[in-house]
Amino acid sequence: MLEYDILIVGAGGAGLYAALWASQNPNLKVGVMTKVYPVRSHTGAAEGGINAALANVAEDSPEKHAFDTVKGSDYLADQDAVEIMTKMGPEIIYDIEHRGVPFSRLPDGRIAQRPFGGASFPRTCYAADRTGLVILHTLYDQTLKQGVEFLNEWFLLNVIHNGERVLGVTAWDIRNGGVHFIKAKAVILATGGHARMYWNRTSNALGNTGDGTAAVFRAGLPLKDMEFVQFHPTGLRKTGILITEGARGEGGYLINKDGERFMKKYAPEKMELAPRDIVARSIEREILEGRGCGENGDYICLDLRHLGEKKLMERLPQTVEHARVYEGVDPVKEPIPIRPTAHYSMGGIDTDKYGQTEIKGLYAAGEAACISVHGANRLGGNSLLDILVFGKITAEHAAEYVVGVEHLPTEGGEYVKREEEFISSLMDKEPKEKLADLRREMGDVMASKVGIFREEKPMVEALEQIRELKERAKSGLAVTDRSKRFNLNLIQTLEFLNLLDLAEVTALCAIERKESRGAHYRLDYPNRDDENYLKHSIVRRREDGTLQHGWKEVVITKWQPQERKY
Amino acid sequence: MTVERAVLRVYRYNPERDEKPYYREYEVPVDKAQTLLDALFYIQENLDPTLGFRFFCRAAVCGSCAVKVNGISRLACKTPFKNLVERANGKPITVEPLNFLKPIKDLVVDHDQPFESLKKLQTWCEPKEPIPEKEYRIPPEEVKQYERPTNCILCFACYGSCEAVMDDPKYAGPYAFSRVYRYVLDSRVKEEHKREMVKNAMDVGDIWSCVQCQKCIYVCPKGVRPAEDIQNVRGIAAEYGFKDYPGVKKLQHFVDWIYATGQINRLSLPEEVYGVDPTPLINKFKERGAEVWEVPKPLPGLLEFRDLYLEVMKEKKPHLDIDFHHVRKIDKRVEEVFNADVCTKITERFEEQREDFFTRFWKKLSEFFGTK
Ligand SMILES: Cc1cc2nc3c(=O)[nH]c(=O)nc-3n(C[C@H](O)[C@H](O)[C@H](O)COP(=O)(O)OP(=O)(O)OC[C@H]3O[C@@H](n4cnc5c(N)ncnc54)[C@H](O)[C@@H]3O)c2cc1C
Ligand code: SF4
Ligand code: SF4
Ligand code: FES
Repeated sequence: MLEYDILIVGAGGAGLYAALWASQNPNLKVGVMTKVYPVRSHTGAAEGGINAALANVAEDSPEKHAFDTVKGSDYLADQDAVEIMTKMGPEIIYDIEHRGVPFSRLPDGRIAQRPFGGASFPRTCYAADRTGLVILHTLYDQTLKQGVEFLNEWFLLNVIHNGERVLGVTAWDIRNGGVHFIKAKAVILATGGHARMYWNRTSNALGNTGDGTAAVFRAGLPLKDMEFVQFHPTGLRKTGILITEGARGEGGYLINKDGERFMKKYAPEKMELAPRDIVARSIEREILEGRGCGENGDYICLDLRHLGEKKLMERLPQTVEHARVYEGVDPVKEPIPIRPTAHYSMGGIDTDKYGQTEIKGLYAAGEAACISVHGANRLGGNSLLDILVFGKITAEHAAEYVVGVEHLPTEGGEYVKREEEFISSLMDKEPKEKLADLRREMGDVMASKVGIFREEKPMVEALEQIRELKERAKSGLAVTDRSKRFNLNLIQTLEFLNLLDLAEVTALCAIERKESRGAHYRLDYPNRDDENYLKHSIVRRREDGTLQHGWKEVVITKWQPQERKY
Repeated sequence: MTVERAVLRVYRYNPERDEKPYYREYEVPVDKAQTLLDALFYIQENLDPTLGFRFFCRAAVCGSCAVKVNGISRLACKTPFKNLVERANGKPITVEPLNFLKPIKDLVVDHDQPFESLKKLQTWCEPKEPIPEKEYRIPPEEVKQYERPTNCILCFACYGSCEAVMDDPKYAGPYAFSRVYRYVLDSRVKEEHKREMVKNAMDVGDIWSCVQCQKCIYVCPKGVRPAEDIQNVRGIAAEYGFKDYPGVKKLQHFVDWIYATGQINRLSLPEEVYGVDPTPLINKFKERGAEVWEVPKPLPGLLEFRDLYLEVMKEKKPHLDIDFHHVRKIDKRVEEVFNADVCTKITERFEEQREDFFTRFWKKLSEFFGTK
């Protein structure tokens, strides 16, 4: 049986950074389990940058960074946690810089910073347009240096606890097949976000399926603020792949089917460069009101043709390539079909400001966790900071905790057996449903009814439909590949079941929150309602499988809620 | 309307139950797939759920999905399907796993080994002391220098195409040396560690086995140029004074002799590089009446040409900082060999003749090649 003092699940930015800090103490046995090789993790897709108040370009302070974050969160973030994050920002940036992250530089050799949406100062550090990639790879190189032990291509199934302490996890070895119990005194879940519940309407990787979040939920522990999902205005129509904000920054136009630059109706001054949520809602409104382009009127055009081939190739080479490869459209000659795409999960595993859950030894960090530092809306560049800060904090906390405790006496046989039975039951079922169909239906339901615009009736329908999908999956979704080795069919089915659980919670929370705040926009309750809803929503699953919804206070330290105006 | 269909001929092998690999053909409607990865999904979702392949980001940034398509390594998610179909011209499109890596299942190959190589080469940052309180100061030009190698997504497409890997299983792989180069260029890294990485590149990674076929450059989906990075690391090895490697010696020999005479010295090469005394071999040739190699003399016009070239380079590319001191040293050695004054006093000569360099340069060139 595998046994660790600290087991980290997930090897994106949060997981790797946690591993580096947890393994500082050479006496601790630390392991990292991940369903894909570490450098494949979605952190590598982050382009824009990472925020910290270095004040290299303009005067700035952690305090100002904290205020921008709280305001951006529409006052739903816990202000004590935000202060911890912004205060640690500079030291974290310096640490990863010392480890070799190739940040872009100012002429005098200091780290360059650029302005980003919602920030009052240029405070986003970046490495050209591949900040996440170089952070992920640099941290990976450091884990090799530190001799961190990896379980690559292992899939987390469930978190095991005894109501008080965590015992470990169950996992499936993807390469060889087979269920294992992994014993651990502490477990840090850094399994990333769950925006794949919108299936093809997300910028996220195919595997961002909230497995850790769903495992915690199945373990009877609370999830927080699940109704908040950030939409980015410009995803490619077919795949949701992100087209960077830079395309509009360089002067791109958003055009409806009448060839009109419709942003003049919604944000006459800022036009295409209005804040993300406003642009996303404007695009969605055009589509809903029948002014979308194409046969089905289901997209809007991003027109870059007037910028000319030379400028496009120089300034936006990625965008040109993405449009050509993934949409089959040459932006030099044609407009790019786009629509808003689910981008970031603000909600997740409910933790305190140290990333601790209710269960001793069980932590969460990164996009999987809801600490919460992003509240109802995350600022661009704050997520990469969040994953590193709380990767470190949880690791240090866990490292301290495990020193004082012994492993619980269990061999885990019963847990393994339960998982094996479950997997057999998936394989023994009569296949009546197709995974691809169910998955697409889930995505469509979520995007059309629990997406950018929300309203009571369609959301209640959506909740019903998700529950029906769950029923259909339960009775008719089988794993038809019975082999052990690299069984994709099994993994994808498990991922889908996780997404369904989380989609149900998301729909429920969205119904319960009868106000508009941050990314959660309700047509039937268009205003923020601090009196009733300045609260985190909390959902947990009862023993019988039904959902229990409740609320939790928001921590307010320095900044009283004001109207969020830019 | 009938939908155009393309045939994919896919490598299948599940060691769990297949005795040996085989190929299976699948028909995929062309309009159902934007990329090759979509085509594989189409197969998996509609025709055969047991097909094994890797993917994650579907946007050419995670490095999971490299496979071999009609013999060439590519990212499945970055290969437009339509282009493939057009080029295939009705013939099946063959999809196979990357070369040289242990098979796991179907298109999935072992990635542990190539990741392990990075660990062996120790490609990481050991920060130089003293570690500053804030960030290290690094000029933007330095960061530019390692921009290309830091684009690498470790997809191992280059590994699967590498001629050196084919011949030398110990060879670490193109991507690994780009990573070495990236950290050697980084002024934050301790000098000792840089030397360590370069030494590892030779001792552990067999960097001298690269045959400069340039395939790694051709297949890289991210514009990394490992073959060039390898040449640079080799040069750095020589600069670091790693004299005991045949590769370094060969390089030194090539540079010196070609520079001085326009050709290598086949008489002294074996001795200089491998410490082998060539006399017995030469004698054997002589006994049999064969023509014996001689110490090469500078080709006619070479030295003048060389000087002109250097001067032009100096003017056009001042940043290259051509080391005339080293040049003198080589000339000196050649002088010793020939016992004659072939040393050309470049700087003096050009003080005298300040006419248009290019005219003379081209004149010399045509003289050199015997054309008008
Ligand atoms: C296109 C795009 C651009 C972005 N740009 C920016 C930006 O510029 N700035 C910014 O701050 N943020 C950005 N973000 C957001 C940011 O990248 C993510 O929020 C962040 O990287 C998440 O990091 P993480 O470590 O929490 O998770 P991830 O990097 O997603 O890693 C999750 C890890 O968990 C593992 N895992 C998941 N499930 C399992 C399982 N069942 N078993 C075992 N392992 C599992 C995975 O293998 C992976 O290693 C962007 C996001 C997207 C989609
Ligand atoms: S140039 Fe060298 S490293 Fe690149 S593919 Fe050829 S042999 Fe391999
Ligand atoms: S150098 Fe290019 S081909 Fe090789 S692993 Fe890196 S990205 Fe892939
Ligand atoms: S799936 Fe990530 S590179 Fe192709």
